Amino acid sequence: MSLESKPTPDTPAPLSAEVGKRRRFLQAGAGLLAAGSSLSSSAATAALRRQDIKQWDEETDLLIMGSGIGGIAAAIEARRQGQRALVLEKFHVLGGSSALSGGVCYLGGGTPLQKALGFEDSVEAMRDFMLAASGLHAPKEKIAQYCEGSLALFDWLVDNGVRYAQQFSAEKELSHKAASLYYCGGEKNAPFRTLARPAPRGHVPPAENQTGGRELMRVLTASARQLGAQIRTEVEVRQLVLESDGSVAGLRVSQAGRLRHIRARRGVVLAAGGFIHNDEMLALFAPELNRCRPRWGHAGHQGIGILMGMAAGGRTLRMDHGFAVLPLYPPESVLKGVVVNEKGQRCIAEDSYYGVIGHEMLYRQAGRGSLIVDADCDYPGTDYRVVVQARDASLSGLARQLNLPEGMLEQTVAYYNSHASHGRDPLFGKQAEYLAPLLKPPFTAYDLSPEKAFYATQTFGGLDTTVDGEVINAWGEAIPGLYAAGRCSAGLPVAPYYASGLSIGDGCFFGRRAATHAARRKV
Amino acid sequence: MKTSRFSLPGLALAMLAGLAQAQVPVQAPMPVGDVERGRLAFAACRTCHYPESYVGHHNGPTLFKLFGRKAGSTDFAYYSKVMQTSELVWTPELLDFWLANPGVFLKGSSMVSPPVRSAPERADLIVYLKQFRD
Repeated sequence: MSLESKPTPDTPAPLSAEVGKRRRFLQAGAGLLAAGSSLSSSAATAALRRQDIKQWDEETDLLIMGSGIGGIAAAIEARRQGQRALVLEKFHVLGGSSALSGGVCYLGGGTPLQKALGFEDSVEAMRDFMLAASGLHAPKEKIAQYCEGSLALFDWLVDNGVRYAQQFSAEKELSHKAASLYYCGGEKNAPFRTLARPAPRGHVPPAENQTGGRELMRVLTASARQLGAQIRTEVEVRQLVLESDGSVAGLRVSQAGRLRHIRARRGVVLAAGGFIHNDEMLALFAPELNRCRPRWGHAGHQGIGILMGMAAGGRTLRMDHGFAVLPLYPPESVLKGVVVNEKGQRCIAEDSYYGVIGHEMLYRQAGRGSLIVDADCDYPGTDYRVVVQARDASLSGLARQLNLPEGMLEQTVAYYNSHASHGRDPLFGKQAEYLAPLLKPPFTAYDLSPEKAFYATQTFGGLDTTVDGEVINAWGEAIPGLYAAGRCSAGLPVAPYYASGLSIGDGCFFGRRAATHAARRKV
Repeated sequence: MKTSRFSLPGLALAMLAGLAQAQVPVQAPMPVGDVERGRLAFAACRTCHYPESYVGHHNGPTLFKLFGRKAGSTDFAYYSKVMQTSELVWTPELLDFWLANPGVFLKGSSMVSPPVRSAPERADLIVYLKQFRD
């Protein structure tokens, strides 16, 4: 049935046999693991064998678990390539986290919207920024493909009915309900602004209060349906069904209280989200994220798709990564303050993207630190995101209340003020518009610990996949017929999260790639 | 059917048939909530709901002046049918009951959220939301 089961000139038989053996071992091991582990509270993420299925109840070409952007993009692309597509959604509401998100898609390289609004961008600038901001964890090949395909992705979204308004917003957080383009990440922050020409790359359907995801998913889901994809709600996926060679044959699902077996001729796409709402997985894999609240994402992020992929032999990547968004802004005026660690030392440019600030405080400062402001740049009133840790008429009084090392905070602020008054920040390169000396009492410290501040958190770890969305096993081989997209996979988003729209863009782009690969697969 | 303010025991009886699986001691007195704990607990609800009057509707309707309001009655454009036709008025007791049993009570509502199993946490959420009124 699968490519791997037939010896070809490129894959001599002995090697194939060896691969098959390894794969069987892996399945057995994964099965045992799943059976013995408390993570299998959904016991049954362990894969079934094809021979244990009496008969298929139904057949399709591409079978998709989850109706967020990864799943819907895969369904659209499958239909465009003449394949049957069936999307299974566990809940009665479609769209997953994508529909609850801001709906921002990170696009660049000179999209028609960027050009129409007078912004110059290039594939190279976009790629250089993404590579630099991703640091050591950069998924280099995926970033390269994504940037090269960015213009085509913009066209694809528009072809499927997504509408963007020809309006730019200069705000760091998109609160302009009529705008569709903004700087959604750290492009203008040091050191990135000197490494790659900044451009606004946040593309979002106009919406109030960052609810663009609702419109994005409404339109794309309608397009999928119009193209003939089947989309079913309240169907719970239970287990993968594997052929004896380890390739994927289909799924066991629960529909209207009955178990059914659906054959997937070309493949199964796991697009069921991450694991932010799975307490055991979060504690085991991502202890830093486990300290944070709120857990930001749809109730479906239970890790089921990831566990199913692991049980079929898939390897995981970056399971401790995620976003920890600490939204100090808006108002942007508070960014004139300083963010200090528990020693009273400044530790980051305060105008950084809020995912970068959250990451710094959570992962590198052990979740201890404060935002220090003076009366001129304080929040206008109480704010749900932060609580006052201390307030004092003098900096030294504030430092005493915070129990900081003697003289440190005063030194930090004196150094900051001496340069801020000249519009400079030699330590971290904060942009001039967010620089002002802190002089006017009272001085206030806001507690930036995850126990007190608002840290919106989502997981980025998931199944390792090729640039075509194929799930990779322990030996680096693709598992035939098994795909993952969105937060079931380890994709473009890495920690720190450096721009909004990377996760939506990743799900959309690699969901499409998975469907394209599956359509061309020999079966 | 005229709009009425359900008392909780009455509500529990009325909903009993649809709540065979719900294991909630509906008549237990609600614990005393804490506003600061409520601020932290409510953070998760902010994927969809904001109680601050200056924010307005989000993925879900505004929760400004929630208590005393008829369910499904604001100008929010995306109510589910079950919410619009529920004829319920939001009280602390009703919210406590719903948060403990989402997906069972008011089944079909657009709110897909895991239940808040802890009664003290539900009380924290409720006392927090009570602050947001004129």
